[in-house]
Amino acid sequence: MHEFSLAIDVINLAQREADKNGTRSIQEIIIEVGDLSGVEADAFGSALDLLVKDSILEKALISIIKTPGKGRCNACKLEFDMTQRMATCPKCRCFPSKVNGGDEFRVVSLLVE
Amino acid sequence: MCETCGCSESGEFKIHDLHHHHDHEPIHDHHHDHDHTHEHEHDGVWHTHSHDQPQQKVINLNMDILSDNNRLAQLNRRFFEGRKVLCLNLVSSPGSGKTSILEKTIQALIPTRKIAVIEGDQQTLLDAERIKKSGAPAIQINTGSGCHLDARMVELALEKLEVDSNSILFIENVGNLVCPAMFDLGESKRVVVISVTEGEDKPLKYPYMFQSSHLCLINKSDLLPYVDFDTEKAIGYARSLNPKLEFILVSAKTGEGMDLWYEWLAGQAK
Repeated sequence: MHEFSLAIDVINLAQREADKNGTRSIQEIIIEVGDLSGVEADAFGSALDLLVKDSILEKALISIIKTPGKGRCNACKLEFDMTQRMATCPKCRCFPSKVNGGDEFRVVSLLVE
Repeated sequence: MCETCGCSESGEFKIHDLHHHHDHEPIHDHHHDHDHTHEHEHDGVWHTHSHDQPQQKVINLNMDILSDNNRLAQLNRRFFEGRKVLCLNLVSSPGSGKTSILEKTIQALIPTRKIAVIEGDQQTLLDAERIKKSGAPAIQINTGSGCHLDARMVELALEKLEVDSNSILFIENVGNLVCPAMFDLGESKRVVVISVTEGEDKPLKYPYMFQSSHLCLINKSDLLPYVDFDTEKAIGYARSLNPKLEFILVSAKTGEGMDLWYEWLAGQAK
């Protein structure tokens, strides 16, 4: 359950940015969780839900965007939807393929007042 | 540039109370909205707007959430490099024999090398006590409900544990092949331990860990005659994920292969 400690990191990051911008309230936080990032988006969302109480994010709308995994075949260079890192190329069946998107785990933006 | 409201793709901008309207969802209390799409997207940068209140501001961050840990890990790494400390992060499933390998390693090398150990477990001081008995200073981190060590825990442990110059620092991570893969501790190298009682498909099941490691110790080789573990297959699976991964087959119990491990350590510490 590393999602819990990652949720704490997000709250700290939000607090730091709020301080930097002299804001007391965050209305929305947008977080991008790639399907291949190693973070379970749902578990992470639940962890954040539990932990935001009494934090800068307590009243914020938490928007989690899941980005699909993308792969690129090392052999034929085909780009394809990758649901797991161990995927073989759907065209030439080569393995392994390079992860070419969907490994992001980041705070995209904050809406502050 | 967003053509509708003139916001920029990077940095920050203010939204004024404009007269045009989009179908924005109203801001509401704490709600998760998975897989949703917004009205605006710029090259993968998503943002949302609320036009009913003045003086709202979107701060575009695009900030890696692990950046805090990575920054601390870099500080740890510099600390180790400055003192010529070889720091190894040992990761594995529970029960693969990490602590036994460490005990044997310390007994064999302590006459000639300075060694210190950071032990990570959810509970108990048992492992640190075992390590101390084998002759090396050790400190135990109990993560409580946590499933991994992170760079801050290591930083705090370093305040209490004396790590000499030119020594080897072993960090025995929490037994877990999932979460520790994500957290850089500042180690010089990562060593993943599997045992022949686990099944050769471990690398396929836990690809992140094998992708991020430098050396794979395959432990309990003395049990090979009694189990169906296919060593070649396990190595093949792991190499398909990480072609640079090195392997040493060892038995902490009988000592088989341990010389190769000590040679590897000596090679790293140069």
